[in-house]
Amino acid sequence: MEIDALPNGNSPAATTTPLPATTPAGAVPVSRAGQLSESLKLEHQFLRVPFEHYKKTIRANHRVVEKEMSSVISGVSQAADGDLSRDDAVSQLNSLVSRLQGLKRKLEEGNLAEHLQEHRCRARIDHLESVDLENVAEWNNMRVKRILVDYMLRMSYYETATKLAQNSNIEDLVDIEVFQEAKKVIDALRNKEVAPALAWCAENKSRLKRSKSKFEFQLRLQEFIELVRDGNNMRAITYTRKYLAPWGATHLKELQRVFATLAFRSNTECLQYKALFEPKQWDFLMDQFKQEFCRIYGMTLEPLLNIYLQAGLSALKTPFCYEDDCPKEDPLSQEGFRKLASPLPFSKQHHSKLVCYITKEIMDTENPPLVLPNGYVYSTKALEEMASKNNGSITCPRTGEVCDYSQVVKAFIS
Amino acid sequence: MELNTIKDAFDRVVKKQKLSSSKSQDMIERVSQEIEQALSRMQSVVGTTSQPDHKVVLAEVKTKLKEMSPLSQLDNPQKELSVALNKYPKILEKSFNPDISKAYRNVDFDVHTVNQILASHFYREGLFDIGDCFIEEAQEPEYADKKSPFLELFRILEAMKSGELEPALEWAATNREKLDQSGSNIEIQLRRLQFIDILQKKGRDEALKYCRKYMTPCAHLCMPDIQKLMACLLWAGRLESSPYYDLFAPHHAEKLAEELAQQYCKLLGESYESPLSTTIAAGVQGLPTLLKLMNVMTGRKQEWQNMKHLPVPVDLDKELQFHSIFVCPVSRDQASEENPPMLLSCGHVLCKQSITKLSKNNSTRPFKCPYCPTEVEVAHCRQLHF
Repeated sequence: MEIDALPNGNSPAATTTPLPATTPAGAVPVSRAGQLSESLKLEHQFLRVPFEHYKKTIRANHRVVEKEMSSVISGVSQAADGDLSRDDAVSQLNSLVSRLQGLKRKLEEGNLAEHLQEHRCRARIDHLESVDLENVAEWNNMRVKRILVDYMLRMSYYETATKLAQNSNIEDLVDIEVFQEAKKVIDALRNKEVAPALAWCAENKSRLKRSKSKFEFQLRLQEFIELVRDGNNMRAITYTRKYLAPWGATHLKELQRVFATLAFRSNTECLQYKALFEPKQWDFLMDQFKQEFCRIYGMTLEPLLNIYLQAGLSALKTPFCYEDDCPKEDPLSQEGFRKLASPLPFSKQHHSKLVCYITKEIMDTENPPLVLPNGYVYSTKALEEMASKNNGSITCPRTGEVCDYSQVVKAFIS
Repeated sequence: MELNTIKDAFDRVVKKQKLSSSKSQDMIERVSQEIEQALSRMQSVVGTTSQPDHKVVLAEVKTKLKEMSPLSQLDNPQKELSVALNKYPKILEKSFNPDISKAYRNVDFDVHTVNQILASHFYREGLFDIGDCFIEEAQEPEYADKKSPFLELFRILEAMKSGELEPALEWAATNREKLDQSGSNIEIQLRRLQFIDILQKKGRDEALKYCRKYMTPCAHLCMPDIQKLMACLLWAGRLESSPYYDLFAPHHAEKLAEELAQQYCKLLGESYESPLSTTIAAGVQGLPTLLKLMNVMTGRKQEWQNMKHLPVPVDLDKELQFHSIFVCPVSRDQASEENPPMLLSCGHVLCKQSITKLSKNNSTRPFKCPYCPTEVEVAHCRQLHF
């Protein structure tokens, strides 16, 4: 454009830059807006996770207040009912006062945390609201980064996650803090320690119970197995009485199976029991934990990246992607993407979609397809440009055959 | 998308939370006041004769606290907060797709393949530190091979940003032949930009010298450019108001940088857009359709897992359309090598099988085009290549 507008020095050869694509006016922005709002509806996790975190903090803070308050009140009752000397009574009340002061401080700290999380929830709503048709490219770019941070966090690549978030300035839009909680548990499970995982279960007891999770039971079983492995049979039995027996009512079969390891020992060759002693069991626990964790925070069980890649690859996959002349712009021209797409279905079209081999532009009524005598089809724009540059002669880029522009005919695609 | 209901619901949560929290503070304050008062009464009465027993004071404070019943006072705001806290997620579930993994097939992606794609994504976006950090954390050091070509590209682009065109020109000169083949005149465009730069900074003489040295030898390629640049000499000192402003406006340099990046990727045999971003964009556009499909397919998850073709069309933007797909308007089949598209003499296009059917498998018998009144003969139908 900038060159063509100039008054002098223009010859047809100078127009090397293709004309900017003219989009058919009217219908397009409407469908774009619809598409945008459909894509926003995919962002449930984006608002849900920080809210669950916020809710959790609120609940925890409240529990602290309730607990401390009731113990202060019963402390007063005890002092009143007991036969205390005056000095004892004074010191008792003093300790209660300082306890309340401690609670006040805790509450203030708690409020600060709540405030931060409230801010984060709001930042997310604002971020969804901020997108419009003008800034959508940049917004999409940020979404790719959010999806990548989510992937890094789920794969426990915390450093990459943090760096990427900082670098892109999207810390409020990703859930690094939430995953810190998971990191502790996962690291411990990797070191074959169950204590942090059990503590986490206790913390989220009601939620886990509601979803009928047996994660805690599985952790306990593993602990039992470890005791058997070390030959601590007696301790294993007392452990069972204390921690495993309550699960008997609902999970008796599994309990019995694991309990039988007492008879088989860790060096057993019996496959069914040998499996229970495998280190793989710990990986299984780690996966279980990740699932429970995601469920509690309202996250998808799969990384967002996998979900979007699967949908995207299916939508892009056509038999033509696997041909040698698949254009580089198609991700499925690459080995890695082809490999990921291989178990996925092909896309489907109800209407023809024709892409000009030369300009890569869509051929439609605005830019109708023209047929050369040899049967090869190119867009009107491409052939007009070629003809204007070469005195009306057309060279087929795929076969090298030459013809005149007057020989091309229009094809009607319905 | 309507975010106002969501915002309102969230405001309500925050309001109730503030209320509940200030109530807690209030209660803590009042309970400590009561206890402190009791304390001071117990201590102040020391020495006086009419001293009430400390036990009386204790009993009093106990009754007072009982009357105050701080815990049940906390209950009410807490209940209201709970209602708001439970309502918000429900609104979210209603306004959004609550589970976007519903259309997920249970196939595991090979982690190494994904990691390789991610590593090259970081490098091609110029996020070299993050790429390095990633391959270390993921323990996939072999994926660093994507780094160096893009390091070079970003070095050139950075230099261009700060007005330094030498690295770009050097690259263009090294790859002159290949660039020529792909029809790019980027070298000339860079020279043009440098000419203007010299003209502005060093004056006409230097600019002229530059033009003679670098541009005249390839005048056969860039005669119109040289003509324009010479005209620029007339405007030296006030180029901003010349008709040639477009040649060096900042957006021109940006566009040139973009074109250079495109050409650079092309020579590398890579796409300009990150294939990862492209696929995610396709996923974002395709997922709503797939989720709707899953709503219809409830209870037929197994069927979904085994499908070879999506049962519904997924509309993608034209930027994500990389192949010509011809769907026969008569049979609704996608054209293939065995069943290619054919041009009828009237200009309408059908696939071969449909033509065979319409002509009742008789190649000499003319049939009517289903879209216009023309009578066509099979012998005059031509195969098309899109």
